[in-house]
Amino acid sequence: MILGRVVGEVWATQKHAALDGRKLLIIQPYLWYAPSHEVAHLVAVDAIGAGVGEDVVVCMGEPARRSLGSSSMPVEAAVCAIVDRVELSRDHGKRELTFVGGRAPAHDTAGEGGS
Amino acid sequence: MMLGRVVGAVWGSRHASGLDGAKLLTIENANGARVTAIDRLGAGVGDRVLVAHGSRVRDLTVGETVALKDVVIAIIDGVDEDEANA
Repeated sequence: MILGRVVGEVWATQKHAALDGRKLLIIQPYLWYAPSHEVAHLVAVDAIGAGVGEDVVVCMGEPARRSLGSSSMPVEAAVCAIVDRVELSRDHGKRELTFVGGRAPAHDTAGEGGS
Repeated sequence: MMLGRVVGAVWGSRHASGLDGAKLLTIENANGARVTAIDRLGAGVGDRVLVAHGSRVRDLTVGETVALKDVVIAIIDGVDEDEANA
């Protein structure tokens, strides 16, 4: 699953039939992990009506297809949650959290009663 | 899925059997990362396309005999990007 921000939308008339009527959103991930190819953005099918500027959770692979209601969709990324609030513990453990594009999601730091 | 622009075509007389007659395109994304994908929608060099990855995607679109996991699933007409980020 990937936490990211919706930064745009994409339209296409020539596409695989299963994509008809589906909204395609451009997502900028906050914290990226192991994509098959290095990308700063990805495109995900919108399953729940997310809009530009909103923080979202994107699920990948079979869960993405399932969240769209059928596993015969030739896609591998779907927006499956709109984020209301991000809470990040102050102690991230050893690993420094690096946010792609240097922009962290607005977040409350757990234990300090929010920003 | 990956959003990218078609930068070239790839062909070869000796290839895996499943690739007979297949049209292979090289697509580059905003980061400069490149992928070679199979296209059945008729995309050409310069077109912006959406590439989906995975054996399931391949099976659903071009069939499992194709020895490749990246498939062009849309040719992009328009992109609306939030300026703050463009």
